[in-house]
Amino acid sequence: MESIIEVNGIRKVYKKRKSKEAFVAVDGISFQVGKGEIMGLLGPNGAGKTTTIKSICGLLVPNEGSISIHGYDSVNDRNKALRHISAVLEGNRNIYWRLTVFENLEYFAGNRGMSKKEILPYIEELLDMFHLQDKRNEVVNNLSRGMQQKLAICVAMMAGTDVILLDEPTLGLDVETGYEVREILKRIAFEEQKTIIISTHDMDVVQDLCNRTVIINQGKVIANEQVSKLLNLFKTSAYKIHLKESLTEEQVKHLEHKFPIHEWEGQILNVNLDHEEAIYDLMDILKMNRTSIETINQTEVNFEEVFMKLVKEEAVS
Amino acid sequence: MMTFANVLRVNVKKEFLELKRYFANTLSMILTMYFIFLGMFFGIQVVGDPADVATNTQYIIVNYVFWYLGMATLQSLGFTISQEAMRGTLEQLYMSPVSAWRILLARVSGMVFNHLFIIVFLLFASMLTTGEWLNLNPVAVVPILLLTVVSMIGVSFIVAGISVIVKQINAFLQILQFIIMAFAFIPLSVAPYLVFAPFVKGVDMTRQVMIHGYTLTDFTALDYIALVGNGIAYVAIGVVLYRTCEKIAMKKGLLGHY
Repeated sequence: MESIIEVNGIRKVYKKRKSKEAFVAVDGISFQVGKGEIMGLLGPNGAGKTTTIKSICGLLVPNEGSISIHGYDSVNDRNKALRHISAVLEGNRNIYWRLTVFENLEYFAGNRGMSKKEILPYIEELLDMFHLQDKRNEVVNNLSRGMQQKLAICVAMMAGTDVILLDEPTLGLDVETGYEVREILKRIAFEEQKTIIISTHDMDVVQDLCNRTVIINQGKVIANEQVSKLLNLFKTSAYKIHLKESLTEEQVKHLEHKFPIHEWEGQILNVNLDHEEAIYDLMDILKMNRTSIETINQTEVNFEEVFMKLVKEEAVS
Repeated sequence: MMTFANVLRVNVKKEFLELKRYFANTLSMILTMYFIFLGMFFGIQVVGDPADVATNTQYIIVNYVFWYLGMATLQSLGFTISQEAMRGTLEQLYMSPVSAWRILLARVSGMVFNHLFIIVFLLFASMLTTGEWLNLNPVAVVPILLLTVVSMIGVSFIVAGISVIVKQINAFLQILQFIIMAFAFIPLSVAPYLVFAPFVKGVDMTRQVMIHGYTLTDFTALDYIALVGNGIAYVAIGVVLYRTCEKIAMKKGLLGHY
């Protein structure tokens, strides 16, 4: 797949104002994003997602490393790079609340140097696509949060770029509007072959929309993998074991030593086996007290669990 | 060139729409300025020399109009950056492939264009109130006014540069009002070195036209050199300083912060 965005070893260090102490926000992050791909950029709060997104947008200059968009360096060829990229960074705060839907679209497109002749047919197309046609002359302040969010995405689309960055696109939306926004994003990616990077905490969005995910924690990439592969990986390694009796303290101690990622609740043991032979180690621990097993099931995982496990594993290591 | 024309068109329209949508705010601003003028006018009636009241009133009208124009222009970009950072729209402006300084130039031009209508209204309101009619020869006034605005825009970029790093500049903008007042009110005959200060030469030349009936041919080449040079110098300093501050803000990650 042709790479549209290449992030090569970016590092960003901030100095705290008072103490002048250095704080490493991102530390050597690298990844590529291909044409038409929807990539999820995930991480806990303070992981470095916003710094990464803002660096890709050319709003922040990294201390080290480089970012290229369509071959243009985001710092040295900033204006050329920005011809290919648009973003929704602060959701519904990215638009002017005292202007109407139409005026917002016209303003932001005009600010990119587009002429009125170019803008008008595209505005009509987008208003239809986003079901905002009947709200075109409504002042944004009077719209619901969902409508405002749709307009913010619409404004990013108006730029006509082939890369769109979305920071928390479904934050604060009700279920119905969240679903509608997701459907729109799917359509944009598949029908218009747009490349989309989504930074979110909503794992349903990732599972539903993203082909691939880059997970960052403490400024470093801890996973860069297809969403389906990660789900499979954790599906095959996660087991739920129903025991006939409770575990002894000694068994728990051994479990904690051998399987750092496990949960134990009464007679139910959830455990992650990081390699095939680990099942024998588990059996040895259970055999210690002749603990009987009632059932063993492979656990169905959702992406939220995958994410939590990856972040926890990283924290433990 | 066409690209900038498109940016200019939407920014002029946006400035007009915001003045219209915040109508109560716009109206109260106009009324406040008018009441300030009334205060000045009645002030010179009471404390001024009765023999010079007519001339003093004429001076007050010109100075007051330039004070308003100076305040609107000089504060505009700093206020824009501070307000847009607070609203969350500032980073969107920097996401355009058109350089931010060009967008800000379009924004300040739009602001000046729209505020010129308010200025004309205030000018006529003050002349009507005082009964002192100034010489409004557009052939002489318009070119001098435009060149004066150029240096104001330059200073506006300096303020924009400061506000792109330090967003909370309201206190500074308030102090700036008094500096602008000094520049608008102090004549060059009293403080000739103020020829190097922004827009003072322009105000001085406008006074000559409006009060003493000068035409463009009555000014010397040195007057024009001072006026044009002042404009070019302040715009160059302003844009260079702003772009330097913008780079610092991008390195320090301050662009969207408020």
